[in-house]
Amino acid sequence: MNHATIIDLDDVHLMLESAGGSVNILRGITLKVGAGDTVSVVGPSGSGKTSLLMVIAGLERQTSGRIAVAGADLARLDEDGLARLRRDAIGIVFQNFHLVPTMTALENVAIPLEFAGASGAFARAEECLDSVGLAHRLTHYPGQLSGGEQQRVALARAFAARPKLILADEPTGNLDGTTGQHVIDLLFALSASHGTTLLLVTHNPALAQRCRREVRLVDGRIANGAA
Amino acid sequence: MSNFRIALRMARRELRGGIAGFRVFLGALALGVAAIAGIGTIASAISAGLDSDARTMLGGDVAVRLMHRAAGAEELAYLQKIGDVSRAVLFRAIARVPGTETSALVEFKAVDRAYPLYGAAELDPPAALRTALGLADGAYGAVCDESLLDRLGLKIGDVVAVGAARFRINATIPYEPDRLSGGRTINLGPRFMASDDALAATELIKPGSLTTYLYRLRLPPGAMVHGVVEDLRHAFPSAGWIVQDTTQDTPFVSRFVDRTILFLTVVGLTALLVGGVGVGNAVRHYLGTKTETIATLKCLGASASLIFMIYLAQIMVMAIAGTAIGLVIGGFAPAVLAPVIAREFALVIDVGIYPGPLAVAAAFGLLTALSFTLWPVARACEVPAARLFRDVLVAHRPPGRTYIAATGIAAAALAALAIYAAPDRKLAVWFVGGALAAMAAFRLTGLGAERAARLLPSFGSARLRLALANLHRPGAATAGVVMSLGLGVTVLVAVALIEANLGRQIAESLPRRAPAFYFLDIQPDQAAAFETAARSVPGVEEIRRTPMLRGRISAINGVPVEQANVAPRAQWVLDSDRGITWSAQPPPGTRIVAGRWWPADYRGEPLVSFDASTASGFGVGIGDTITVNILGRDITARIASLRRIEWGSLAMNFLMIFSPGMIEGAPQTELATVRATEAAEVPLERAVSARFTNVTPIRVREVLANIAETLEKIAGAVRVAAAVTVAAGVLVLAGAIAAGQRRRAYESVVLKVLGATRAKVLAVHAIEYGMLGLITAVAAAAFGTLAAWAVVTRIMRLEWAFLPGPAIATALVALVLTLAAGLAGTWLALGRKALPYLRNP
Repeated sequence: MNHATIIDLDDVHLMLESAGGSVNILRGITLKVGAGDTVSVVGPSGSGKTSLLMVIAGLERQTSGRIAVAGADLARLDEDGLARLRRDAIGIVFQNFHLVPTMTALENVAIPLEFAGASGAFARAEECLDSVGLAHRLTHYPGQLSGGEQQRVALARAFAARPKLILADEPTGNLDGTTGQHVIDLLFALSASHGTTLLLVTHNPALAQRCRREVRLVDGRIANGAA
Repeated sequence: MSNFRIALRMARRELRGGIAGFRVFLGALALGVAAIAGIGTIASAISAGLDSDARTMLGGDVAVRLMHRAAGAEELAYLQKIGDVSRAVLFRAIARVPGTETSALVEFKAVDRAYPLYGAAELDPPAALRTALGLADGAYGAVCDESLLDRLGLKIGDVVAVGAARFRINATIPYEPDRLSGGRTINLGPRFMASDDALAATELIKPGSLTTYLYRLRLPPGAMVHGVVEDLRHAFPSAGWIVQDTTQDTPFVSRFVDRTILFLTVVGLTALLVGGVGVGNAVRHYLGTKTETIATLKCLGASASLIFMIYLAQIMVMAIAGTAIGLVIGGFAPAVLAPVIAREFALVIDVGIYPGPLAVAAAFGLLTALSFTLWPVARACEVPAARLFRDVLVAHRPPGRTYIAATGIAAAALAALAIYAAPDRKLAVWFVGGALAAMAAFRLTGLGAERAARLLPSFGSARLRLALANLHRPGAATAGVVMSLGLGVTVLVAVALIEANLGRQIAESLPRRAPAFYFLDIQPDQAAAFETAARSVPGVEEIRRTPMLRGRISAINGVPVEQANVAPRAQWVLDSDRGITWSAQPPPGTRIVAGRWWPADYRGEPLVSFDASTASGFGVGIGDTITVNILGRDITARIASLRRIEWGSLAMNFLMIFSPGMIEGAPQTELATVRATEAAEVPLERAVSARFTNVTPIRVREVLANIAETLEKIAGAVRVAAAVTVAAGVLVLAGAIAAGQRRRAYESVVLKVLGATRAKVLAVHAIEYGMLGLITAVAAAAFGTLAAWAVVTRIMRLEWAFLPGPAIATALVALVLTLAAGLAGTWLALGRKALPYLRNP
């Protein structure tokens, strides 16, 4: 395992405005994750797990504190800079897959490569789909795929640009047990083979235990596992 | 790969999802573009028709027009040296059915053997014109408009008398090639055409008679028309003739066409504007369905600018498609409408493809699409990617300054194009200002209605409470519907009120204020007898007489009119001869706005009292000079006073009134106006016609009926264009209702689950859409009335009357349409099965 730090959060606070007033979502998160590590984030609903994922992905700006991802200080990046960071260094896997419905499986996987201007985007996308066992589904649209297949396409897409970090938010939340297990096996296998850091938000204790490290959030604070 | 290429590729993939989300977009844009393209193409087709047919319409390569007198021997010899000459003599006369008291005013035209030099008259039954006009069995032949036969109760072969001559009507003349030539702005009666030989037999041509002599020339091949025109102007500088070639003919036709096209263009632009609102709504709705995709692309590393390009590219592809559909429809409009235009307006149009107006319409379409979509696209690009994780607590940022500036530039370009492409730029500026004001007003009305619905106290009736809540809930269609349908109905209300006001002027105000008759060509020695005869008819209230000549303004401050700098609005004064008179005293009702009237015993240099409005168009004032050619003699007079003339009053108005001493000697006739009760009109006409065959009575009521008929045709065309605007509004309304269809279906299902009957659900929506329609109707009636008031009082300078009937009737259209479309949507929603809406995903 490479011990360079890929995620570095220092006293991160996140406060969001809502119709009912300000809500403190994250309250002083300090967290370091080394390259190649696998970390699960667990905690009750509303504890701030998804918000933590969002600030790490640069999808939400922290209210205070410092965040560095893959060596980049997120506070120094503008919106487009953050988009480029996600394109080059971060892959995201969602609970609801979020494939583009008008694009085929192959095109969905090729998107981040195309955004990066990579040559041979489609050939690489095809390899990625092959690696998740969907070589025979290249020209299918999301609507023609099962839930498990859609999530496998999403995995292929997340790994396509060979990111340093994979952020997964309840990746099996919409899948049945067997299919979910298959997807998780794939996720860990791909992370291991690519040497990618994996940060996994989950409610599933068994799934959390597959990660090398577990971070428990309670009420916007790390209850244990910060080190 | 450049961002642009990536954007295009992504856009292409996105569009695979089908164009169902773009139906309203395509329809609204196509309708607006079709209106602009159709109107522009028809305008070009009419112009081309006038141009290609110009020689036939003018009656020759060059036309020379003289008032009061025929060309002298020397002048005629000069004309004959240039080319073939054909003479036509035009005047107004009374055609009588011998042995009866039935008569009608006709536009008499005596033509020689060479007529027509170009084109051919069409007669019914078909016959050669020469034969039809020939002398047979003691009666001259004549042809006339069919309407004269109807008016006099005659048939082909019957005999009428005009002056001292008898004519047998041998045919009607459905097509007279040079009908629009001759300098007449309005025809007061049907055409009556006879031969030159018959002219003398009528004995109607007296010194000073209001007779137009038209000499048309056919030039030898290769002759330079422009050179001939210049030669004719210089060879006889004092002839007082008006020389025209095909490029200058029918200015009044062009003006008529320009005015009609201008109004149509304004209405067409409104249709496009309404379409633009629909385009904006459709894009907002489409992008609303793309929120998840946009957020996904952002998570995958797409920058906001790349996403902006992806969606703008999709929308512009659709805009090109919508514009193309509009161009096809608009481009073919003249082919479909040519027979109608020919029948109703006597204009031959040159059907074809006109790239100019199509290019303008395409530019309008694309700029409209851009102006109305840049903002929603930019807003959609600000969708936070965090949306994928949760819907709540995620703020939506407003678009950056670049997008605000881009939207502003696109809108400014659209406004600039509207002004640049309009035939009347000043009016176009007003239109753009009015459109912006109307859009702002409707937006405020819509937002105000939403706010009012929110602030209203809770009602006991659940139906009313639910209906009111629907007006202001997030994503309510209130503002969109009020704006889009409101704009369309505003135009309809404005058109209805303008038309009703004009109709009222013609049917009520003018006949009340205007005299009943004008009597033309009263010889000075007949004046006293005429007045006695007229006064003897019961019901005759007032008779006014004044000497009258016709003259042509030949120079302004010594500068020949051809070289003078004259404002377009005053150009009509120079297009033809004008009636002039002289007087020691200011005529009753004279309103002098500058200078002073001359003393009653004035005998100095010639002075003239001039129309103030024309003077400002000529750029002249008190002390400047006007030269008028009367019967071949130039008379220069100094402007002593300026008068404000109300031409619309139809009273005895003269552009120029001269001081006594200079023109009394010229051959002249008298013009009389007679005020009389309606019942006295027929006896008066008979009394005068029986004794004075050379005097031409013009019945104002008939003239107004003619004007009303023309007006009705123009109003019909404008109404069609206004209907397109409303159609665009209805399309936008349908789009707004379709956009809320899923929500409506879900609501209906929930209400049914809770025990509501179909009737109750329908009632909730009937109240909702009834209120929406009522708000739109009231706002459209108010803004439409304001627009109509501005047009009637500021542009047409006529009296304004608020006529609630047409305004209310038209505004009700908005109410009915909104209610119908809304309930149709609800009815469909009520038919949906509950399960798919209630099952958890």
